[in-house]
Amino acid sequence: MITKLSHVSLFVLDQQKAYDFYVTTLGFKVNTDATMENGFRWLTVTAPDQPDLEIALLSPLQESMYPDPETRAAFKTLLEKGALGAGVLHTPDCRASYEELKAKGVVFKSEPKEQFYGVEAVVTDGVGNWFSMTQPAAR
Amino acid sequence: MPITPDVYKKIVTAKVYMDENFHETIDLDLLSRQACLSRYHFHRLFTRIYQKTPHQYLTQKRVEQARQWLANDELTVSEICNNVGFESIGSFSVLFKKEIGFAPRYYRDRAQLKKQQAQQQPRSFIPHCFIDHFRHDPPPAP
Repeated sequence: MITKLSHVSLFVLDQQKAYDFYVTTLGFKVNTDATMENGFRWLTVTAPDQPDLEIALLSPLQESMYPDPETRAAFKTLLEKGALGAGVLHTPDCRASYEELKAKGVVFKSEPKEQFYGVEAVVTDGVGNWFSMTQPAAR
Repeated sequence: MPITPDVYKKIVTAKVYMDENFHETIDLDLLSRQACLSRYHFHRLFTRIYQKTPHQYLTQKRVEQARQWLANDELTVSEICNNVGFESIGSFSVLFKKEIGFAPRYYRDRAQLKKQQAQQQPRSFIPHCFIDHFRHDPPPAP
C-alpha cells in the first residue's frame, strides 16, 4: 500500500539560482545539500508547512547527470521555453503573496484572478518552471 | 469585505519590514505606522491575511533565522539569541523548542553532524535509485 509522496524532482536550469528562489525568496527550508565526488549535487528543499515532502532541485544540464549532450540540450530547450509547468503552490492569501513577490522582482505569467477553486496567479521560478500560486476557496 | 490593492501594499510593507528588521525592537505601534493604518486595523488585517498575529509572525521569523544560524554559523547560542532580537536566553530556548521541537544546542549538534556527514558520505543521503538512474556508479565488471 502506497501512503504518501516523500520526494519529487524538479528540473532547473541552475541549482544556485534555484536555491536563491526557493530558499531565499520563497522561504523554503533546505533539507539536504550533498555533493558527490563527480559534482552531482543532491539539493532538496521543503515548503514551510510541508516538511515531509522533499523537492529535489536537479540540474539536467550537468554532465554528471546526463552525459549525453543531446539530452542536456533537449532539457535546456524545454526549460528555457518554460514548457514544463511544475505544480500548484498554496498560499493563505494570493494577493498579498503576489504583491510581496512582485516587489522582490519575481516574474508572474498572470495576476491574481478569482477562479472557482480560489484565487490564482501564475508565478515563474526563473529557472525554467512555472507554478499556479493558489489561495484555495473556503469550503 | 474585500481588501483593496492599496491596503494589501500597506500590510505587505509592514511584513517586509519585519523580515528585514526582525533583530530590532518591533511593536504594534511601529508596524502600524509603517503600514499607515491604525493599530486596530493593522492587527485585524494582518491576522486575516497571514492567519497569524503580527507578534506570532515576528516570533516565527526570529526562530527561523536562529535555526539557520545555528545550522550554519559559528556564533554562540547566546549571540544568536541576541542577534535575532530575543531579550533572554530562557525565553528564546523555550520558544525555539516549541517551534522546532529541539533545544537550540541539541538542534545545532544534530544539524552540524548532518552537514558533516553530507560532506563526508554524500551517497548516504541520496536515494540509490537516483544514483543508479543517473549512472553515478561504475558499471559492474563483466
